[in-house]
Amino acid sequence: MALSTTVSQRKQIKRKAPRGFLKRVFKQRKPHLRLESRGDLLVHLNCLLFVHRLAEESRANACEDKCGVINKDHVLAAAKVILKKSRG
Amino acid sequence: MADNWDSEPTIRTVLQRVLDNADSRTPRRPRSSGAGAQRTLLTTSSSRRLSSRTKTSAKQRSHGVRSIGRLAHIQVIGNLKEQTPRTLVENILITAPKSSILTPEAMVKPVPALQVVQPSRRESSQGSLELQLPELEPRTTLAAGLPASDRKKQRLRLSVFQQEVDQGLPHLTPRADRGIPLGTLGLTSFNLTFATPLKPQSVRRPGLARRPPRPRAIDVGALLQDLQDNSLALAPPGDSLKTPIANLPSDTVLEDTQPFSQPLVGCSPSVHRSLPNPFPTGTEDAERTTGDRTQSSGPGLQNHSEYWGSPCCSIFTLLGATALACFVSEVMEAEESQETMETEEPEGSSEDENTSDRPGKKPSILPSETREPVSARLTPRPRTAGSRPRQDSYKAGLNHYAKLFSFYAKMPMERKAFEMVEKCLDKYFQHLCNDLEVFAAHAGRKTVRPEDLELLMRRQGLITDQVSLYVLVERHLPLEYRQLLIPCAFSGNSVFPVQ
Repeated sequence: MALSTTVSQRKQIKRKAPRGFLKRVFKQRKPHLRLESRGDLLVHLNCLLFVHRLAEESRANACEDKCGVINKDHVLAAAKVILKKSRG
Repeated sequence: MADNWDSEPTIRTVLQRVLDNADSRTPRRPRSSGAGAQRTLLTTSSSRRLSSRTKTSAKQRSHGVRSIGRLAHIQVIGNLKEQTPRTLVENILITAPKSSILTPEAMVKPVPALQVVQPSRRESSQGSLELQLPELEPRTTLAAGLPASDRKKQRLRLSVFQQEVDQGLPHLTPRADRGIPLGTLGLTSFNLTFATPLKPQSVRRPGLARRPPRPRAIDVGALLQDLQDNSLALAPPGDSLKTPIANLPSDTVLEDTQPFSQPLVGCSPSVHRSLPNPFPTGTEDAERTTGDRTQSSGPGLQNHSEYWGSPCCSIFTLLGATALACFVSEVMEAEESQETMETEEPEGSSEDENTSDRPGKKPSILPSETREPVSARLTPRPRTAGSRPRQDSYKAGLNHYAKLFSFYAKMPMERKAFEMVEKCLDKYFQHLCNDLEVFAAHAGRKTVRPEDLELLMRRQGLITDQVSLYVLVERHLPLEYRQLLIPCAFSGNSVFPVQ
């Protein structure tokens, strides 16, 4: 782990879905709605794909700027595009 | 007419009286004109303006008398006609003998224009000079002796011209005014012409003042183009001098008033027939002077004038009113310069605005995005504020996906970027929940079902005809989740994830 500024690339990640977290988020935001049994997994999948896209886009932006490190601006520009794409 | 007489003082009145007397008799007229010319010669050296005014007044008088005479008695008209042809013949004589010198021809043209125009204009005083000049010249020409052929040709032209004038006098007078100044400019010194002509344009017709705005719109675009095209348009110096003058008249025609432009056309043919060459000769001097002035004034003016000239040249040649061009050109140049300054300034400002707008827009957009996530954060916080563990869990969950981000990115990333990713995730969940709510509400359910999520992913472009939901599940989710999501046949003739 880079101490101050940079976060090194994660070599290993947990593939387990934070199902409780996902259910809670949905319930927190839409208390009047109910998420079906496997819905949280699909939300997890959707979120994975979103993060994947966002990462690729920001990586591309970083590469365009010839930066070895993903910058805040890169993420911002990528988020602008990807959030627009991921509208329902 | 009356106003003109009244306005101009002593010399005028005297000349008018002389002319009136002379009109009745054909022979006297030339005397008066000749005397006037002599006077003018003397006066011109000292003060041309006064002489020109007096002469013009006299001419105007003569015209007024003529018009009255027509109305009253036909005989008078006949006398007038005789007189007019007389002057014309004299002019012709002047022009014909001098093959080498262009000036005499130029003199001839202005005379007809003056006759027609003067009644309307005081300022035609400049034109009066022209009349005097032709008379003076005829003496010299007479001595030289003119070829018969030339005289006949000119006479024919004059007759045509007179007819036109007689018919068109009422209509032509305003038009002629403009035509006259041009001729006068060419013949007379430019200094005199400059001061006088400008005033009449503005003062005489209030209606005209409104029109200039039209040309401006054209001018702005044209001028800008001109600036760009100037390099192309720029021709050898000789051409440049001619072009600016031509340009100026065209501008004047366009800007001043369309009605005027038409009259010019009507008048021009007669003039053009009689004297194709003279104008250029007379105008050349004016052109030189104007060209010098334009050069001195600045490169921008020349460019503009040249630009105008190229398109206008054809029109200008057709009109044949080069003299007008000279006179108006200077005035127009001044106006153009002002206009150009005005036009350029707004454009510059507009460009500045554009530039300023561009940067301004970007920042505005960015902050908006940044602000939204902040607001999103704030909204959930108050709800979760009651229980801290939730907020921590929420952040932990976001942190989980942020780690996934760093994994997918395959690059090191700044900590601020990491925070930004969490913001984006927060925003994303907000949108996601809203979308799911809408889908469920649309289906009339209060339960979000997998179909809703599938539809959402389809709308997000994640699921396509080639890539189904199950493919995505297989790719991205571990086996245990896959078993939960992908229907599979089990023993006992059962499919686990029931569809």
